[in-house]
Amino acid sequence: MNNIIGVINYGVSGNIYSIKKALEKAGGLVVIINTPDDFSKVDKIIIPGVGSFNDAMLELENSQLLMSLKIEIKKKSTLGICLGMQILSTLGFEYGTTKGLGVISAEVKEMVVDAKVPHMGFNKVEVLRNSALFQGIENEEFYFMHSYEVVNYTNIISLTDYFGHKFVSSIQKDNLYGVQFHPEKSRDAGINLLKNFLAL
Amino acid sequence: MKTRIIAKLDVKPPCVVKPVHFEGLRKVGLPSDLAKKYYEQGADEVIYIDIVASLYQREILYDCIEETANELFIPFGVGGGVKTIEDFSKLFHAGADKVIINTYAVQEAPQIIKKASQIFGRQAVVVNIEAKKWDNYWECFTDCGRIQSGKDVLEWAKEVEELGAGEIILQSVDTDGRQRGFDIELAKKVVQAVNIPVIISSGAGSLSDIKKLIQEAKPSGIALASLLHYDTLSISEIKEYLFENAIEVD
Repeated sequence: MNNIIGVINYGVSGNIYSIKKALEKAGGLVVIINTPDDFSKVDKIIIPGVGSFNDAMLELENSQLLMSLKIEIKKKSTLGICLGMQILSTLGFEYGTTKGLGVISAEVKEMVVDAKVPHMGFNKVEVLRNSALFQGIENEEFYFMHSYEVVNYTNIISLTDYFGHKFVSSIQKDNLYGVQFHPEKSRDAGINLLKNFLAL
Repeated sequence: MKTRIIAKLDVKPPCVVKPVHFEGLRKVGLPSDLAKKYYEQGADEVIYIDIVASLYQREILYDCIEETANELFIPFGVGGGVKTIEDFSKLFHAGADKVIINTYAVQEAPQIIKKASQIFGRQAVVVNIEAKKWDNYWECFTDCGRIQSGKDVLEWAKEVEELGAGEIILQSVDTDGRQRGFDIELAKKVVQAVNIPVIISSGAGSLSDIKKLIQEAKPSGIALASLLHYDTLSISEIKEYLFENAIEVD
């Protein structure tokens, strides 16, 4: 079984504990990635998601993980969650302009919508194309907690509607997946999504 | 969009207590048991506030939080005595998804909100406001309604938004724990004053109180305590009622 999941630890930010618990609930084994050497122990990678874009990139650089992460995500199935999805992009505009991992051609911008921001709460995910990640959970609600969104046109799996504003709620490019919502905070639907990731 | 239904645990470790007007504590159970119960009833979130950490000037108790966060696959907001970036960090590591701050930001250093939001993202920084009504305005209180701050609630709400708070939890010192309805006027004013989500707490006693609040004030969420702790209503009953009557914020 390819079920040892490496969860990237970014220092001060990140909600690693929640992700670890949810992955274990889904049947995975978790290794926290603190140093580049830890990558050799894992089959898949999760980039978690609490923090701001430029702080996350800075922390990745400071922790010496950045270079190896860029290499590893080309080889191993990777799921970015919330900010973890956002930093797969080329550029982010949260507290200044910051370069992301640059593996998805996308930019991350503040949501512009005639409603309260951050977008917080359970919301529907409209799956546009078949994806193993959403197998059996195509019509579920997931928990969102964000004020920035990924602007991308070519790798979209799903969109979500927030008061008339449709934004990208999940993406896929080859072995790379990203979800704007928090599967670890989305009850059974979220656990099932993690099971789907484990089964890839 | 549906209004989030949130269970609020006021904790005086090791127990969840229910203050009436923030005074006269009654023990209602262990936070981990209650969190699990409300999760199973369908809560959208759980909020945990250590109501004595700030008053006793001691650190929040992390074990209690980790235990509560266990088996909780919904967002978990935690507050009580938060003063430093390190406190935020430790709470995230103990299982919090959002950190709630009040006393220190109001009384000493509002800038902590800005700093925390730059590091953790604004969605993870929540400001708790305890409002007390005077003749023609509301004043911010801290330490569970014990200490006055001299700050105007509406001004403070706008200030925390400006500083980078991602959400406000609004409590009313006057209606808290009475189960006789919300301070709708206050709720409406704060929701309209800011562009970030506002969670309204304090006063729910019945389904019609909740309906009235959602329709008149349009909050992003409602935090419930007494109503749930005394089994007056369950979250599943509330959600069913809101769904059947198509009550949501548009």
